[in-house]
Parts: sequence; structure tokens; C-alpha cells
Amino acid sequence: MYEMANKALKLAEDKGAEESEVYVLDNHSTSADVRKNIVDSSNENYTKGIGIRAIINGAVGFASTNLYNRLEDTVNIAISSARVREKDPEWVSLPSNTQYPTIRNTFDDKLVQLELEDCIDLTTQMIEGVTSTSDVMATSGSFSRFHDKRLIMNSNGIETEEEGTGVSGFIDVITTTDDKATAYDFKISRNLDLDFYEIGKNAAELAQKSRNGINIEPHKTDVILHPFAFADILENTLASAIDADNVHKGRSSLKGKINEEIATPDFSIVDDGTLDGGIETALTDDEGMPSQKNTVIDKGVFKSYLYDSYRAGKDNVESTGNAIRQSYTGTPSIGLRNFIIDYPQSDVISETDEGVYINTVIGAHTANSISGDFSVEARNAFTIKNGELDKPISSLMISGNVFDLLKNITGAGYDIRSVGGLVTPSIRITDMNVIG
Amino acid sequence: MLDVDFYDARVVEGTTTSIFLDNGKVEDISVDFSRGAGVRALCGGSWGLTSVDGNFDLDKTIDSAAKLAKTMNNKTPKEKINLKSSPEPVVKNTPNVKKNPRDIPIEEKVQFLKDIDESANIEGVSNTTAIYTESIVKYEYTNSEGLDCEHELTRTGFAVSAVASGNGEYQVGRESRFDVSGFELFDENDALALGESAGQTAVDLLSAKKPKGGNMPVILNPELAGVFVHEAVGHASEADLVLEGNSVFENRIGEQIASSLVDVIDDPTLHKYGYYPFDAEGVQSSKTEIIKDGVLNSYLHSRETAAKLGGTPGNSRAQGYSEPVVRMSNTYIDNGESKFEEMLEEIGDGIYLIGSRGGQVNPGEGIFQFNAEKGYLIENGEISSLLRDVSLSGNTLEILKNVTMVGNDLEMNSGRCGKKGQLMPVSDGSPHILVSNALVGGA
Repeated sequence: MYEMANKALKLAEDKGAEESEVYVLDNHSTSADVRKNIVDSSNENYTKGIGIRAIINGAVGFASTNLYNRLEDTVNIAISSARVREKDPEWVSLPSNTQYPTIRNTFDDKLVQLELEDCIDLTTQMIEGVTSTSDVMATSGSFSRFHDKRLIMNSNGIETEEEGTGVSGFIDVITTTDDKATAYDFKISRNLDLDFYEIGKNAAELAQKSRNGINIEPHKTDVILHPFAFADILENTLASAIDADNVHKGRSSLKGKINEEIATPDFSIVDDGTLDGGIETALTDDEGMPSQKNTVIDKGVFKSYLYDSYRAGKDNVESTGNAIRQSYTGTPSIGLRNFIIDYPQSDVISETDEGVYINTVIGAHTANSISGDFSVEARNAFTIKNGELDKPISSLMISGNVFDLLKNITGAGYDIRSVGGLVTPSIRITDMNVIG
Repeated sequence: MLDVDFYDARVVEGTTTSIFLDNGKVEDISVDFSRGAGVRALCGGSWGLTSVDGNFDLDKTIDSAAKLAKTMNNKTPKEKINLKSSPEPVVKNTPNVKKNPRDIPIEEKVQFLKDIDESANIEGVSNTTAIYTESIVKYEYTNSEGLDCEHELTRTGFAVSAVASGNGEYQVGRESRFDVSGFELFDENDALALGESAGQTAVDLLSAKKPKGGNMPVILNPELAGVFVHEAVGHASEADLVLEGNSVFENRIGEQIASSLVDVIDDPTLHKYGYYPFDAEGVQSSKTEIIKDGVLNSYLHSRETAAKLGGTPGNSRAQGYSEPVVRMSNTYIDNGESKFEEMLEEIGDGIYLIGSRGGQVNPGEGIFQFNAEKGYLIENGEISSLLRDVSLSGNTLEILKNVTMVGNDLEMNSGRCGKKGQLMPVSDGSPHILVSNALVGGA
């Protein structure tokens, strides 16, 4: 990998790039799919490719390939697309900081060594978890493990290579009796420490409990959102409002709100690329900037946007280490690392006299990411009566605005979960609109 | 010799280009050259799949997939999978590319996009973005039954979006055109007018009202009705979901599931964004009548699901080197006879819902939720105030039965559909439709 990366950097320099960067990704993943209670198929994926950024007068050109014999063409395209662009006086530079943090539990050799037979066994455990509950079937699901190597080199002396692993289980279930109800569960980890049986069992029990739903009238009430539902809403609203790129472009309601109170005083959020065993933990972000811990909301007060190096340069600040790439075929954008929600925990359901508990929502991606307005369909929702989950609700929509929601948080459970990189307990919100 | 029942390979090689503008400035230009392969092997009742990219050895990849299939079959033996037989496809009537995007200099593409972007920047708009994409992809298909075929497709398109702000609020307007076409796409669509329309929508929405939620009669415009037919009807008719027990259409072939006015069709032979001459299993593409006169007529099939449920294959598609999955192509509600004015008269009071900001469906329970881009209140058969943040949710089968008028103004829109982690180009469409009762969500 080194040789190829070096060659590309050299080529870019020879052809007139003032700065250049090579990003190489080498990924191996294995997955096994579930269909109707059986392990149905398995997959091996090998991906390896290279993305090249060339910078001329602050303008960035990019091209990528997975064909070594096209390396020179690829560098040429990166250079020529940089030349097509306007000069960008706001460009400062690619990262050059090499003070890396110490990170732990992001690589598990047991995951690398896992044989296909073992993968199938773990997938089977998930199905057994489902069928341990009567009248429930797994409709689809998947087991997945990955092992990837990433190399980032740039003309400012960054040279970082790291390896990581991960494993996840997802299962979608449906009841087989006349009153159909569905549910899903999902867990992910960097290490081989998941209880796959539990994933299946949780989903099955939830579907079982969700049958024979009642209808409710539209009203305002206390709503407790399970980590899945809360994470889904935040990722589709707040995440884009704290992205410095959206702030620069007038697409964020949080523009000019640093140090303003935007949430209830006990509520804090930290974005941490160094979290022990975190799903988004790595030595650096996707352009080689050392990972770090950023306070986003501190006791209700908004503290920081998230940056990559380009947008940080515009604001004259340091990158927060939030450059993210979906693959080697694109330039970095700004994204969340481990996004950790904090609020004083309690036995939140038993402290709620009357309200609604919602496990998951559908349609969160249709939220207005600029205004923060959302209107979503709630799934696996239950009424809360005298501090206990009472009856399942057949059909329910909730709507509101994320910035109102942050001010109306009045409770959090003990049930902290990693929903991808977003780490959160259940969250209670008062005075939320529910439409039955 | 490989000791498997079947294998096939898709080798995909192509160049993709995208240009992204923000407020008239080039934000990103990227070009990718790639080649890779997706290989499947079948042993008994188990599939093994291997994908590779870069400089690979196809025989070794086939061996890897075969090993996966054999291991699976030993470890979790299951009922043997049969594949419906399929003759060698004839690649015919492919779309003509009049202006090959390869022949257009990048400077011209950038300038073109800048003009569209500028047209969206009308008074009141604070931010605009525009994107151009082009892909030229060659597909080769080969399998253990001796099939060997190939085709090449060129797709181009653009999207423009405008944000208007005022009183601390933001609103968005969007327009886009994507097609199986060369650069002539831009001659055939008035791109500048579309840009302006995106800007106007954003500005107008700033002063729009929010609707009161509740059950009421609605008219869906062709774009939103198209999204409904794709998301709620199309997905439920995908035979893999039916076999998973995850479709409300399971065991309903021959049943009246919709108003007799409703015909739903999937047609990959149309020269729209979801076009293909043969599918990811080398099956000749053909038109499917999913719903005919309100009666569920057919599911969409792969060779495997067609063999299991009885049906015609030809809807298996794969993104890049991924696993082939049963997918839609160009899906639409066919024209009826009503005029839009007649619908307004019929509805009296209700809401006219326009465009889509996406949505989600639970095909197993037949429940869906879509957010419209905007809407209008209809009072006494006349369109009155503009509405924003309107959503439509409900039960697929109820909505289908509640269709009381179908228009004669079918329009198709292009988009990308996500399923099993794969995004595929599709188009969907409909004429205007009147639904006598639906749940509208507001604030």
C-alpha cells in the first residue's frame, strides 16, 4: 500500500499539486443473511481502492480508482479538476498534526480469525433467540463482521496506517398469529462480545408485546424515546445543525448560537473520536487529523460545531477531527464520531404517571434538517400508566421541533446503548404532540 | 468440477463523474474509474457470494463463492433452490446516446451547472446547491449455463436545490432530472426554468401555513402518488419480501386489493431512469402488470422467486458488485380518465399534496409515511392557501381502496431506491389521484 501511495503523491507533486493526499482503504467483510428463520446466504467482500486529492491555489481536485494501471490517469484527473475550479483563498492546508491519542479496543483478532462456520453459528443463535418466543418468526436479518486497514498520507508529512474490526447483528421479526406486529433489534461492537441470542429474543418479545394495539386520541403528553428512536431523530436534525459546513452556508439554525442555552440545563453532549471501544473510534479521522474529544453541549449550553480541516481553516480554528468518508471514492465531509448523550439517569418509566413509550420511529430522514421540524411514525409504541408500560398503540405519529425537544427533556433511563456511534439512554420529553 | 449447482458472475466496469456546486461555487468534482465483479454460487439451498474489485482473478472469485455455498449447505442444509429457466436475452431497442458526455469538456459541464444554480437564486433565496452526475457503465454477465451477454448504459442528470430564509425560519425547494441519456438531457429539459421553480418553492413556503392533522380527502400530485406507488405498492409486490413474510400482498394474488380504477405497472423496457435491457441474472427485461383493474395480478420476480411462487423473472438488479435483489424499474399508476378540475369539484374540501421529501414503509404491515414537499388547502373545490410540513400516513390497502378518481396526466420522476443497502436508479410516476380518506399529519 505504501509504495502505491508514495508513487501517487510523487506523481501529483510532479504535475503541479501544491498539496496532495492519498487515502487507501482495504476492507474485508463477511456477512450471513437470515430469511424466514434460516441462514439463507453468505457473502465475502473484498474492497481495495485509492482516492487522491490534489490542491492547487486552494482548489481541490479529486479522483479515485481500484485499478493500479489507472493510477497515473487518476492523478491527472485530480489535477485537472483542481485547475477547473476557482481559486479558494479560504483554503488553509491539509492536516499536519501528528500528536495521536491513545485508543483502545478497536481491534479484535478473534474477529479476523472467525471462520465462516463460526459466523453461521452466531447467526443461528440470533434466530434461536427469536424462536424461543412462541408465534414469532425472523423475517430477515444479518450478521456481519469486518476487518479494515486504512492508510492516509499527505504532502505535509502525515503518514498513518491503522487497522480496525467490528461485528454486528440485526434482526427483523413478525408475529405469526392473525394480529401482525413487527419489531427489530440491532447491536454492534468493535469486539466479539455480543450476545446474539439476546438480540433475537429482544426483538421477538417486543413484537409479541406489540400485538392488539389500541387507538389513541391526538394530545400532548410525556413521551419516552428508546435509544433507537432518540438517536434516529437526533441524527436527522441536530447532526446537520452542528456541521460547520451547514453553518457557513446558512443551513443551520445554530448559526451564531455558540454559548447560548439551547437545551435543558442538565443535558450535555460530547463528540469523542477516542471513546474506548467506540464504533467511530480511530487514531485519526478520515483525513489524518488526530481524533479528540469535543464538548458540543455543556449543561444545556451550546459549545462547538464540528469541523474538518477545510471548514476549520475558514473559521480560524483547529479541525475537531470530524472528517468522514463513506468510501475511498469521495472527498471527506463532516460527520459525527462517537456522539455521547448525557443526562442524569433514573428509573424514568416508573417516574412517569401517564405518557407514551416509543421504541423506534420510521421516517426520521424526512425531517427538515434546517428548521429541525420532524413528523415521524412511531413503531412499537405503548401507553404508560402509573409508571408502567400499559397497552400497545396500533398507529401513532409524533411531531415537533428538535430545538423545542432539547428544552423539554425531563428524564433519562439507565439503558445506555450504542446506536452506531450515537451513545444514549432512553430520553423523556414533556409536552410532545402525539397523533393517533 | 466446482461441485455446485449453479454460478454466475457480473463484471462491471465504468467511469462516474460528479460535480457539486454550492452557491455557484464548485464545491466538489470527483471522477472514479473502477472495475469489479460480483459472483454467486448455489449449492443445494445455499447461496455463496463473493465480491472483489480492482485487478482480480475471476476464476478464484468463483472458487471463493463456491466454497461459501458448499460450507453453508453443509452447515445449514435447507430445501433445494431451483431457478426458473431463462433464454439468452436479446439486447435491442437500447436508448440512443446523442451527445456522449465523454465528448463534453468538464469546463462546459461546470458552466452548465452554474447557469442552473444561478437561475434558482431568485430574490429571497439565501443558498443554492446544484449537482451533476454522469455514469458510463459496461455490464458483462456470464453463468454456468453458458449464458454470456453484455450491454453499456449512459446515465446523466442534475438536481438543484434552493433555501430561502426569513424570520429565523428556513425552507427548501428542489427540482431534478435524471435519465438514461447523454448530455442531450439538458436540451430536452428547460433546466433554467426548473432552477427558478426550485427557488420559487422555497420562497413561497416561508409564508405557508401548517395544516391541522387528521383524516380527510386528499388529491396526490403525480410525483407524490408515484412515490406512494413505488414505496407502498411496489415494495410489497417484490417476491423476496413476499417470501420473507414481509408483505401485505402475501397470498392475495387474484384478490381485489384496490379500487377498480387502479392499474399498477412496472416496465424496465421504458427508456426512463430505471431502464435495463436484461437484468442481473441475464433475463430479458419485460413489463409486469402488478395490479390490473384493482386486482393484484403479479409480483416482481428473480429466477429463484419465480420458480418458488410461479411467475416471470426479470426484476433482479444489483448495485455494482453486490448481490442481485428483486427490485423495481419504472413503476407507475397507469392513466385513468379524470381531469384535475373534476377532482377538485368532487373533493370539495380537502388537501392537495405535492411532491415528496421521501418516506418510509413497513411492507409487512402495509403502513407508510411520506412527507410532501408542500400542499394546498382545497376549499369548496378551489385551491386556496399554501401548506408546508404536511405528511401523509396510513395503511396501503385502505388508501388503494379509497382511490375514487384517477387522472389522465401521467408523469414519471427519477430517483434512487434503497433496499438491502443497495441504491438503484428507478423512476416512478402516476397521474393525479383522488383518495377519499387519508391521515394527514401536520404540526
